[in-house]
Amino acid sequence: MKIAIASAGILSAIGNNPQEVCTSLLNRQTGIGKTQYLRTRHTDLPVGEVKLSNDQMKAQLGLDPSQPVSRTTLMGALAVRQAVDESGLTLSGKRVVLICGTTVGGMDLTEEYYSQLLTGEREIGLLQYHDCGNSTDHIARILGIECETCTISTACSSSLNSIILGAEMLRRNEADIIIAGGSESLSRFHLNGFNTLMILDREQCRPFDATRAGLNLGEGAGFLVLVREDQCVNEPLGWIGGYCNSCDAFHQTASSDDGQGAYIAMVGALQMAGLKPSDIDYVNAHGTGTPNNDPSESTALRRIFGESLPPVSSTKSFTGHTTSASGSIESIICLIAMQHRIIPANLGFSQSDPDCIIPSNGNENVTLENVLCNSFGFGGNDSSLVISSRPVELHSTEKQFDCCIVADEVIDNAEQLKDYKDVISPLEARRMGKLQKASTMTAMRALSSAGVECPDAIITATKYGMLDTSIQFLDDMENNGESLLKPTLFMQSTHNTLGSAIAIRLKCHGYNTTYTQGDNAAEWALRDARRLIENGQAETVLVGIHDEQCPLFATYHHLMQQNVMDIYSRSIILTRK
Amino acid sequence: MEELVLQLKQQIIKTLNLEEITPDDIDPAAPLFGEGLGLDSIDALELIVMLEKYYGIRLSSPAQGKEIFKSIDTIAQYVQKNRTK
Repeated sequence: MKIAIASAGILSAIGNNPQEVCTSLLNRQTGIGKTQYLRTRHTDLPVGEVKLSNDQMKAQLGLDPSQPVSRTTLMGALAVRQAVDESGLTLSGKRVVLICGTTVGGMDLTEEYYSQLLTGEREIGLLQYHDCGNSTDHIARILGIECETCTISTACSSSLNSIILGAEMLRRNEADIIIAGGSESLSRFHLNGFNTLMILDREQCRPFDATRAGLNLGEGAGFLVLVREDQCVNEPLGWIGGYCNSCDAFHQTASSDDGQGAYIAMVGALQMAGLKPSDIDYVNAHGTGTPNNDPSESTALRRIFGESLPPVSSTKSFTGHTTSASGSIESIICLIAMQHRIIPANLGFSQSDPDCIIPSNGNENVTLENVLCNSFGFGGNDSSLVISSRPVELHSTEKQFDCCIVADEVIDNAEQLKDYKDVISPLEARRMGKLQKASTMTAMRALSSAGVECPDAIITATKYGMLDTSIQFLDDMENNGESLLKPTLFMQSTHNTLGSAIAIRLKCHGYNTTYTQGDNAAEWALRDARRLIENGQAETVLVGIHDEQCPLFATYHHLMQQNVMDIYSRSIILTRK
Repeated sequence: MEELVLQLKQQIIKTLNLEEITPDDIDPAAPLFGEGLGLDSIDALELIVMLEKYYGIRLSSPAQGKEIFKSIDTIAQYVQKNRTK
């Protein structure tokens, strides 16, 4: 079977449809500049904003301007609508799945109303928009698309992992039409978070340059419509060649020196596509422009391509780092490059660094048959995708094995955390909130009871991630006027920290992903685990289901008459029968 | 100086949430990173926030911290010289 990329929709700092993006790429026109829409005191930090206000987007979508809708949802809805319209496909009567990668979700609304929520000036019901899964459901609702919805939050690789999941569902004939990608709005929360990590450049970012001093945050949304070959009505934009998700398993916010996670992801994607490194005509690098990412990715690229490196560029120099949306936005940039026969430039590069590859300065009139798109996230959640201009035969996967649960460990009250020192050292504990302690404890117990040292895959389900620490960071941000914030709290706020911390502990380089589809997250995680085992892609999978409360959300859940536990952590080991 | 050293030890223990460590456990001349206490890059970022919060010292890049955060003694010397509060 072959998977066609039927169409694409994009909103980014360099254009709000593929044509505008293409023009900006050709004109070498960056979209990074001063903040226009994000309200922050850090006006010295350049950002890549989508040049539309929330009200303008609401108008385009025919929404009531007074209705609270997160910017992530608005951008996502516009990009999904573009992609669906372009595809020429009729969705009704088909098994449609909308998969969105996001980490910010509705944080922009929560931070906007936070102080008023505390004083009661705003209805606490607004917190329904906070979680990532709600944002995806909201996109489907706005557009009136009848579909299954799924949300993935693996930080900066989220939307590439959405595309990977979509392709896997088509391979398994679980769906007819996949709308996959991601949306991420800028927020004060993560601008300040990245600022605490001291990886934001005060100037325009310069990926791979010797003088690079960090990244510029961006925002946007990108969605692809994926279908099996026989379902396509228009000429496809390109074809899914191969893909791989791996974990660097090194550090929560830093890439390893040898770029092991990136290396495995790229090699895996090439292998699946049946390609040699010399078949790749262009690499759209993750290339954030931080001192740490670029040499690590360069090392991985050199390990694969040796002396014959194809043209490589980081288009984050145009769009800014659109975090969760970057994987799908950059996949669409790859499709634009193939169609218009261009190599996008790597803006800002002038001085080479011996530890980094030398990126392309852009080119025109080139034939791109196979391109590789890299997308790496905090926690070492690294994924790569090969896109081809010609159809690629992918093995359709059928159920080959049965799977069964061999261990199941639960913690459902804080009292049960008292023995954490049995598995967690004091040095490790310094950076763990209660949910991370619980998830580590249940994971270690489940692995030990199943006699599994290192699983082949780690899949996490969480609605909110480490909610208590996220809200603590938000609280500090509001009280300290966006200063004196703790990097540790920000690091813990990303949903994939739970799953990647376990991978780091076990040095587990296998498949690693995090589902955040609200109350259905666990179901998606278990479905993925079964898929991996039944297809023969994994023999043992650790599934973790973790959530916690904080006082603000406890009030909300009480009001909604939802009975939510203060803490819940469950780790399950599934194996081949 | 001795007073500042003790104060720094207490602040570091609190900032980095170092369970089960008392000021007496930390040798002011011993390395804080890698060996010794075994701290890493995120701890260094936390220490940068700590210097700003308690002593009004602002570092512009993590690279500056490398020399300063070698040991409690080096931090104390730097703070004494550069503090604004």
